[in-house]
Amino acid sequence: MRYLIILLTGIVLFASDATLEIVKSADARPSVTIQDSSDFADMRIRQKFFRLVLGDLKVTAHFKVDDTYRSGSFDSMIDPLMKEYDYLFRYRFKEGDGQTLYLDVRVYDIGSKNAIYERSYRVANRTRYPFLIHQAVIDFNDFLNMPSVDWMRRYVVFSQYSKPKSADIVVADYTLTYRKRIISGGLNIFPKWADRNQKGIYYTKLGKRPVLYYYNIYTGKQTKVVTSDGMLVCSDVSRDGKRLLLTMAPEGQPDIYRYNIETGVRERLTFYSGIDVSAQYSGSEKKIIFVSDRLGYPNIFIKKIGERAVRQLVYHGKNNNACSAHGKYVVYTSRESDNAFSANTFNLYLVSTQSDYIRRLTASGVNQFPKFSPDGESVMYIKHYASQSALGIIRLNYNEGFLFPLKGHKIQSIDW
Amino acid sequence: MKKSLLLATIIAALFMSGCSQKKPEVDMTKQESAQESTTAVTEADTGVSEVVGTEEVGDITTLPEDARMEKIKELEASTKKIYFDFDKYNIRPDQEANVDEDARIFTSDAAKDLTIKVEGNCDEWGTDEYNYALGLKRAKTVRDALALKGVDESRMVMVSYGESNPVCTEHTKECWAKNRRVEFELLP
Repeated sequence: MRYLIILLTGIVLFASDATLEIVKSADARPSVTIQDSSDFADMRIRQKFFRLVLGDLKVTAHFKVDDTYRSGSFDSMIDPLMKEYDYLFRYRFKEGDGQTLYLDVRVYDIGSKNAIYERSYRVANRTRYPFLIHQAVIDFNDFLNMPSVDWMRRYVVFSQYSKPKSADIVVADYTLTYRKRIISGGLNIFPKWADRNQKGIYYTKLGKRPVLYYYNIYTGKQTKVVTSDGMLVCSDVSRDGKRLLLTMAPEGQPDIYRYNIETGVRERLTFYSGIDVSAQYSGSEKKIIFVSDRLGYPNIFIKKIGERAVRQLVYHGKNNNACSAHGKYVVYTSRESDNAFSANTFNLYLVSTQSDYIRRLTASGVNQFPKFSPDGESVMYIKHYASQSALGIIRLNYNEGFLFPLKGHKIQSIDW
Repeated sequence: MKKSLLLATIIAALFMSGCSQKKPEVDMTKQESAQESTTAVTEADTGVSEVVGTEEVGDITTLPEDARMEKIKELEASTKKIYFDFDKYNIRPDQEANVDEDARIFTSDAAKDLTIKVEGNCDEWGTDEYNYALGLKRAKTVRDALALKGVDESRMVMVSYGESNPVCTEHTKECWAKNRRVEFELLP
């Protein structure tokens, strides 16, 4: 009996450690099949909508989702071929006046053949169709009392290069399907959400010298926050939005500083003559995790704010040059080849500040820009593989990953 | 008083009657004056073009702003780029001669009053912040080396463009090596 208790405790402890892979023995998730009842004649548009509905349902990781594209009338009977599934997710896109777009969703319990749920959604401009789908999937997920996927409606902000020495800042949905350029003209880089409600961003404009601006995405009002020689990046914002972690380089020396936006007081946190960058708050914001080349190559380190001592956090890889932290977890990129003459492979790894386990999250290609979701349950990243690019989402607690194809410009930096 | 008024009236009457009688002559006068003014303009044009010609071969300090900028750009083009190894910011031995040459240019009479923007650049393989820091460290190493060779530190400003300013966009090793560089912009 004592052994049994120890064994069970062990399982519970391990289960709460996301660095351990979860190996599912049986898939007990409810199964869902999708049916398109839209009015659109253009099959290309219908496929676009379908792929996003399918992607959203899969990304929840709460359902076994059927990949088959099915169409049929919104009020038709349930096709007997669907009986192997638990739910039918039937949707209909309708064009409204001007640019208005409507989405009706009706979900059937296939076992009882009853419609158990029906909702309608609307957007004033059809280019925002991804948000219709995200909201519909969030509501369906909530209706079945699954863990929240509210993060799907959050924005992603990123900077993309438009030409040499020039980059624009863009706000997008989490799949980067919908995009709106908010800042252009010059080199606008390192956008970072300024608050949890995503009202504003901090970003760096690199002119004669770098300037950090605060930009309200709803009013377009912009205010200058601070300026520094050489380099200036806002790497993280405290939960209350008042204390920024900055990389600044007075005299060309990149170090980490904490900046209080209410008092304007800046405090230097690292004192190394090489490179210290990408600071993120860890735990209860009393520690920072950052990238440093103090061992002769970029790697991930941790330190308590106010103390001189620095501890190496990652004992793996010879080139770990970017990280994202959430609570006790850190996800980092590691360059698997350590010289300029071999094929470039960058993989993502997850570590905990409280254990020695390392979990590899990707297996191939160039995987960069890892960012935790605000709830820490997912990691977003950009993948380049065989001349294709994609936005990846890894659902850590479900051991599942998804890729959304990505076209267009080279991304400089991204924040979720 | 009355006499002088009368005299003036007579003179005026004579003058006016005289004018009306010589109408064609008035026309002739006008033509003559028109010819005179045309000749004067032609001469002025010739004079101005000669003056401009004189200025064009004059002292550098009196050059118009764009010609001075052209001279600065020429000087800038003669500077040597400093190349770096993958993920490194120390100056390679084979780049020392380039640093010497740049120091010579920056301390020469033609450049001694100019501000030097030292720009650090990287290949596409870093991720976001680290790459910008690496570019900056490269700029700093070069600035410090130039300062040791006599270039006034206060004339130099540093900036990092990370991977945002490639000179070569092909995905080859040779191309990446060309992008890992420090280059200079000269400012008046």
